[in-house]
Amino acid sequence: MDIKKIREKFPIFKGGDGGKRLVYLDSAATSQRADMVIDSVHDFYSRGNASVHRGVYELSERATGLYEQARHKVAKFINAADPSEIVFTSGTTESINFVADAWAREHFKEGDEIVVTQAEHHANLLPWQRVAQRTGAKLRFIEVDQETFFLKDPPKDLINKNTKLVSLIHISNVLGNVWEEGLLESVIKRAHEVGARVLLDCAQSIAHKKIDVQALGVDFLACSAHKMCGPTGVGALYIKKDLHDAVEPYQVGGSMVHDAEYETANWQPAPMKFEAGTPAIAQVIGFGAAVDFFNEHVDFVELHNHEAKLCAQLVDGLNSIGGITILGNQCDMKMCGHLAAFVVDGIHAHDVSAMLGMRGVGVRAGHHCVQPLAKLIGVEASTRASLYMYNESEDIEVLVRELRDLIKTFKEA
Amino acid sequence: MADQFYQKVLMDHFKNPRNKVKIENYNFESGLDNPACGDIISMTGIIEDGVVKKIGFEGSGCVVSLASASMLTEKCLGMSIDSVLALTKDDVVAMLGMELGPNRLQCALLSLEALHKGILAYRK
Repeated sequence: MDIKKIREKFPIFKGGDGGKRLVYLDSAATSQRADMVIDSVHDFYSRGNASVHRGVYELSERATGLYEQARHKVAKFINAADPSEIVFTSGTTESINFVADAWAREHFKEGDEIVVTQAEHHANLLPWQRVAQRTGAKLRFIEVDQETFFLKDPPKDLINKNTKLVSLIHISNVLGNVWEEGLLESVIKRAHEVGARVLLDCAQSIAHKKIDVQALGVDFLACSAHKMCGPTGVGALYIKKDLHDAVEPYQVGGSMVHDAEYETANWQPAPMKFEAGTPAIAQVIGFGAAVDFFNEHVDFVELHNHEAKLCAQLVDGLNSIGGITILGNQCDMKMCGHLAAFVVDGIHAHDVSAMLGMRGVGVRAGHHCVQPLAKLIGVEASTRASLYMYNESEDIEVLVRELRDLIKTFKEA
Repeated sequence: MADQFYQKVLMDHFKNPRNKVKIENYNFESGLDNPACGDIISMTGIIEDGVVKKIGFEGSGCVVSLASASMLTEKCLGMSIDSVLALTKDDVVAMLGMELGPNRLQCALLSLEALHKGILAYRK
């Protein structure tokens, strides 16, 4: 993987801002878009635009073909056994709400238990809070070890015969990796032993790790295209085939009906059953193009090594400044990380990121949609620098240099 | 050079906040937080004959939210509550003397929103 060549495939880095380098360190929020993705969306709108599934004229047939090809591509990308296991949604958040509304709320009752971790993004916590409130089910938590920032091996009775769902973050958007070797696999195994289903929130991980739903043995998986160089507004929900009957339609309406009367209706089989209304056609095709981009240009092992190298430089650079607390397991970050959230003593995270922004460095500030975790580790807001395939050593050099300088000038002001 | 981003006056209000006290025997108060970043601003004060006689703020947050609160208390002292309620986003932006994007604007407006909330509650 030649990083220079990869970087050239992202038009945004070609300059425009007076030739000034764009130091983009916020890919954990959203990645930049690859040229293949932009071209595919542009081509569809300019040459192939039509609705899908219903039209029998050539343009619509072609659009349908491209749309369904994207489903095949995504299915293959995460090694789903069958393309019908892929449902297109607006992204990870909708995918998880989908499972909460269309499956959990239909089947859960008082006494049932839902297990999540203390490191969940709001998207994989709030839907389960609502399911718990509305069904009487109980939320239980796999704890974060506040020294190592890894998840603790849960006590034996945490996952028990009452557990109906174990819904887990794969990679944290604040702490990075939170799973010690083998623990995720062990938790999934324990869930299945008691008959619980498993959802994996891959919002962050899809862009950095080879995902294999069959090897992981998960029942549901949620992800977004925009974290992996694809368009915004589209993502996927993997629903394992044996759940296709138990999961109800999330929405009802056009496209998903088999037969409708005035009083009743029944549905088409999956995945049509799960996709009501005109879908985000261009975005889905763009999602397919993002998968093509990965297949053609990205080697996950090389990507991992590239990111880890930069992350080690980032961690060392931040530590060299002094007065900075990094959240997360630094040792792990240097071996396999791609982001670092940190707090600068005496300067609010908003000021840090706004001042970095003025100096041409894009980082994220805030609680990163993990308020309970932020409270747990006693941090109000943090700044986060996140890395991706197109970042180079120079990006970190600029960040560290500007950060060092702004801390100095801020304290002197 | 106080980082180019923040004007000298803004940094001065951040480092030496004015009216950062809880007013004793206040007759209006309110508090607000910005869920995006955890900034918290609370306001207390005394209104007599429709005029802000005393005003103070407390809270924690970034330079923009705290300096904005400090500057706002100076600006509003002695103003009629009608005039205070008439203050808008544009007045705060002019007061801070800097361009703010939509995200950062929330920090800047937190104190004005808290103040408006407190005065409206007092009126009732």
